[in-house]
Amino acid sequence: MKVVYTDVLVIGGGLAGLRVAVGVKRRGLDALILSLVPAKRSHSAAAQGGMQASLGNSAMGAGDNEDVHFEDTVRGSDWGADQRVVRMFVNTAPKAVRELAAWGVPWSRVARGDRESVVNAQKITITENDDAHGLITARDFGGTKKWRTCYTSDGTGHTMLYALGDQAIAHGIPVLERQEALSLIHDGGRCHGAVVRDLITGELTAYLARATTIATGGYGRIYKVSTNAIICEGTGIALALETGVAPLGNMEAVQFHPTAIITAGILTTEGCRGDGGVLRDVDGHRFMPDYEPEKKELASRDVVSRRMTEHMRKGKGVPSRYGEHLWLDITGLGRAHIEKNLREVKDICEYFLGIDPVTEWIPVRPTQHYSMGGIRTDHTGQSPTLKGLFSCGEAACWDLHGFNRLGGNSVAETVVAGMLVAEYIADFCESEAGAVSVGSDLVRHFIEREQRRLDELLGRGEGESATELRDRMEAVMMDKVGIFRTGEELESAVSELRELLVRSRNIAVRTGTRGANPELVTAYRVQKMLKIALCVAQGALLRTESRGAHFREDFPQRNDRDWLKRTLATWADEADDLPSIGYEDIDVNAMELPPGFRGYGTRNHVDHPDTETRLAEVEQIVDGLGAADRFRRQEALMEYASLLPEKYRGRNERLLEKLP
Amino acid sequence: MTGNGEAVARGEGAAGRRLRISVLRYNPQDPQSRPHLQTFEVEEAPSMTLFVALNDIRDHQEPSLQFDFVCRAGICGSCAMLINGRPGLACRTLTSSLGERITLAPLPFFELIGDLSVNTGKWMRGMSERLEAWIHASGEVDIARLEERMEPELAEQIYELERCIECGCCLAACGTARMREGFVGAVGLNKIARLRLDPRDRRSDADYYDLIGDDNGVFGCMTLLGCQDVCPKNLDLQTQIAYMRRKMLRAAILPAS
Amino acid sequence: MGIPSDLAVGAALTKRRSGRFWPARLDFLESASGLFLALFLWVHLFAEASILLGKDAMYRVTMFFEGYYIFGTPYPIIITLFSLFILAVVVLHAVLAVRRIPVSYRQYRVYRDHHKLMHHEDTSLWWVQVYTGFALFFLVSVHLYTMISQPANIGPYASSDRVVSEWMWPLYVLLLVTAVVHAAVGSYRVAVKWGWLPARDPAVGRRRLKWLMRGLIVFFLLLGFTSLGAYMKIGIEHRDQVGERYVPTWQQESTPPAGDMGVRP
Repeated sequence: MKVVYTDVLVIGGGLAGLRVAVGVKRRGLDALILSLVPAKRSHSAAAQGGMQASLGNSAMGAGDNEDVHFEDTVRGSDWGADQRVVRMFVNTAPKAVRELAAWGVPWSRVARGDRESVVNAQKITITENDDAHGLITARDFGGTKKWRTCYTSDGTGHTMLYALGDQAIAHGIPVLERQEALSLIHDGGRCHGAVVRDLITGELTAYLARATTIATGGYGRIYKVSTNAIICEGTGIALALETGVAPLGNMEAVQFHPTAIITAGILTTEGCRGDGGVLRDVDGHRFMPDYEPEKKELASRDVVSRRMTEHMRKGKGVPSRYGEHLWLDITGLGRAHIEKNLREVKDICEYFLGIDPVTEWIPVRPTQHYSMGGIRTDHTGQSPTLKGLFSCGEAACWDLHGFNRLGGNSVAETVVAGMLVAEYIADFCESEAGAVSVGSDLVRHFIEREQRRLDELLGRGEGESATELRDRMEAVMMDKVGIFRTGEELESAVSELRELLVRSRNIAVRTGTRGANPELVTAYRVQKMLKIALCVAQGALLRTESRGAHFREDFPQRNDRDWLKRTLATWADEADDLPSIGYEDIDVNAMELPPGFRGYGTRNHVDHPDTETRLAEVEQIVDGLGAADRFRRQEALMEYASLLPEKYRGRNERLLEKLP
Repeated sequence: MTGNGEAVARGEGAAGRRLRISVLRYNPQDPQSRPHLQTFEVEEAPSMTLFVALNDIRDHQEPSLQFDFVCRAGICGSCAMLINGRPGLACRTLTSSLGERITLAPLPFFELIGDLSVNTGKWMRGMSERLEAWIHASGEVDIARLEERMEPELAEQIYELERCIECGCCLAACGTARMREGFVGAVGLNKIARLRLDPRDRRSDADYYDLIGDDNGVFGCMTLLGCQDVCPKNLDLQTQIAYMRRKMLRAAILPAS
Repeated sequence: MGIPSDLAVGAALTKRRSGRFWPARLDFLESASGLFLALFLWVHLFAEASILLGKDAMYRVTMFFEGYYIFGTPYPIIITLFSLFILAVVVLHAVLAVRRIPVSYRQYRVYRDHHKLMHHEDTSLWWVQVYTGFALFFLVSVHLYTMISQPANIGPYASSDRVVSEWMWPLYVLLLVTAVVHAAVGSYRVAVKWGWLPARDPAVGRRRLKWLMRGLIVFFLLLGFTSLGAYMKIGIEHRDQVGERYVPTWQQESTPPAGDMGVRP
């Protein structure tokens, strides 16, 4: 039995995992990262667009601050987010950008003077102030009041990942590549580490740690068409689910990105629309203003995706042999702009479509893009029920995004949560609760269990084909648990997924090798993915309302009265073929920003009984403070600073808000 | 202006060809295994990339076939392999751009994991450690305060060099690296050029000279330009290496500066 | 939030060693010596081509190189000394270049296979340099040995006789081809290596340089072969008077009508 000890085990080498590892290392703890792929190949690299942080340096971002960012995020989440977490996040995001700047991210900068830009398909001139010259600039993204998205041309995620990857190397943090965690080692109340399979040799090793962190990203690959990297299969999240103890939150909240190219499902960044690109239908008509006269193409992602689908259903889609699509037109931006700021988009069009976006329209359609759901954690990133298990980034339901995430907030979440959770983990490790106390019997039990499972897959002569089950699952999710959902379809989805899950217990692997064996990998991953898929489908079926990205055609209203709560899914017994679904109320009375109209379509929601009282209360508090500054006002409405690690509590300096 | 993605909708170059894809197979983990070419026949589909073709083979013909894809969108650098003898990213190579007979082999130079899968990550980490390829700042920065300013053009120049995805194509295409295994390659030299350009990295040319001023570094480069001509990101490696060569020569001639 | 200061100072600083600047110097010397030899070759080919303007022209050029126009009398020893110098540069260049070539059969095979598989011009060009360089080392040595040992035997007749009657022309054909190719390819490679490009856009610059390289090869091969042809023609015509030296026309008027025959015993 091979056992490796460390202080902090980090599963996942993307932005969130790297930042956690660097953070705990700086607190003097040992960290060890396990990754399916080399860290710099993580899916974080694909985030082209940018990272939201209210620096307010550029002219179009002037006047931006934490309050505006907070409101945008809460509205965007359709009031599903934990507002204290949102506050922690918006206050730390500027610090995260600046830290990354110090670590070498070549953020695009403000250039003084006039420049041409395209807003709402109109050419405008933006004049940047002298005193902002050389500071980090920002671009426009959907769902935000200010231009807030910091970026590096069109390679933001790449540059952030490389800067953090380099920091991990500089700090001497080992990143063990091609290692896959198969299960967490736990005793029902405390997580002690993980059983890990070496994808090259097939060897199983127990990694024991004071704290285990899952930062494995989302579960987009349970869908047939997804913008996610093919490693984003949700198997990291399934580790927590399979403990039977740790709950997953809001798994039904799945975001579709409006503009992925057809066939490959590769994302073209929201920056395309942020910079002035428009959507057109089969007649070449720009249709978004018809639906959303104010925000047009830059409405929230869920809204744009739904409007696009709606428009295609009206027969306005462009038919093709890959199904219907619409056009993304960025020809108005000009060659210079596209070749400099949207080069990846141009590359993708050339390599995967054979077209030039400078002169031709891009065929796009809404495609699965982001998983708001994930391992439910408290504000420290720790599972509420399984001590020692932490999670952050897309893998977690921290809950920053509620039922819909704003573009640019996910990349920001990875590093911000990484910074904060690293501190809480370090605190945890330094506390009594963080002491290691695991018996070798427990470790042996888990290793043997995993070995037995692998042996069963390898030893079964006849059985189900893993790829067949996977293909079917992907199709069911795409067709029945997509952008528009109905009770009938969801029921049929759940029943078919259950059937697939049962069949998956009888998968036979034809290739007998114990070492590198892609077929075996698919087999055990499909078993996990089906559980995740069931959490999504079952959660969606039970949630009889529409909120954020979760849209029920049979229940189109947002219903705060019955559904202002977070879905919690657990897998109580290994033999179960359905998750147990529970709920966690979201307290209106603790909200800084009580639920209201999100600002899309027509006002159409059922209020929570407490909403009115809380609104009055908020008004009273604000009135009572008179001319107090925004910090005092905020503090009076919802105190959160005490939740932050002390070193990150301070205010952020801006051009217009100098620190003493 | 009419939409012209129709080429895609039509499925360009798909005229029902039957591709014959030969893959160099070898599993170093298995003592019985010997390197050999195995040929698979695949029905070409419209807009088919090698990513699609290889997955098709694995799903329907040979489940043990090893290869690496992550982003499948040309951004992560996982899937570099020899495509008809030349290094390239498989995920963004359309089969329509190739003949009916396609030969795939693992990237040379790197440790072979099996079939088309090679351990580029391990080599890249080693290179980063050897070249200390991270920003060497001086002192702590107060992240609550305004960030240090940078000229917009400089930020763009740095990004230009930062676009490297460490796919390993430059090393596989490099005759120097193939003969001299300690050579840091274009990826390493480009990284140093990027750090040198960055005012946040406080090292001097003399410091960089210690890292790349030998025959495993910039003076080992024989200017074969394989790197320049295969780089999937079209990085101007030739110019960067030449620039570093001049700067390092200067550091050698005028060590005091 | 910088990184800890122990990381800020590169560990490299501690491993400085004496002689660490040699790789830079050697790399530069290799390029510089190569470029010098290429320039010399081109001048040499032009000088040699003076035969195309007539025997007198070539005679004058010979006299010039022997220092006649400076000292008033020709000193063939200058040729000897200069040839020795060139030989030294050639040896230096060869020694520096040899560091690059495959040192084992394994390396040789790796490179050979690599360049066959890559179908990449610059990769193949270096292979050309290895082969031409190897050949040149021998060809140039023979040629230079002649120049060093018989410095006086340069002239319209002496050179022609050497080409034809002393059977040196096969050597000169090989030498011409290999030297012209090696010099042009090498100069192109030096320019790219150090980034001296005749355009802002490096792709354009490299393309231009490559055309220049091809142009130089064609031009100097044409020039060289035409000159060689001229020497051969003279050599064939002069086959029966081997050993006789050329007397320029302006001196011929003052000598007996026997002309050339009378100059030497």
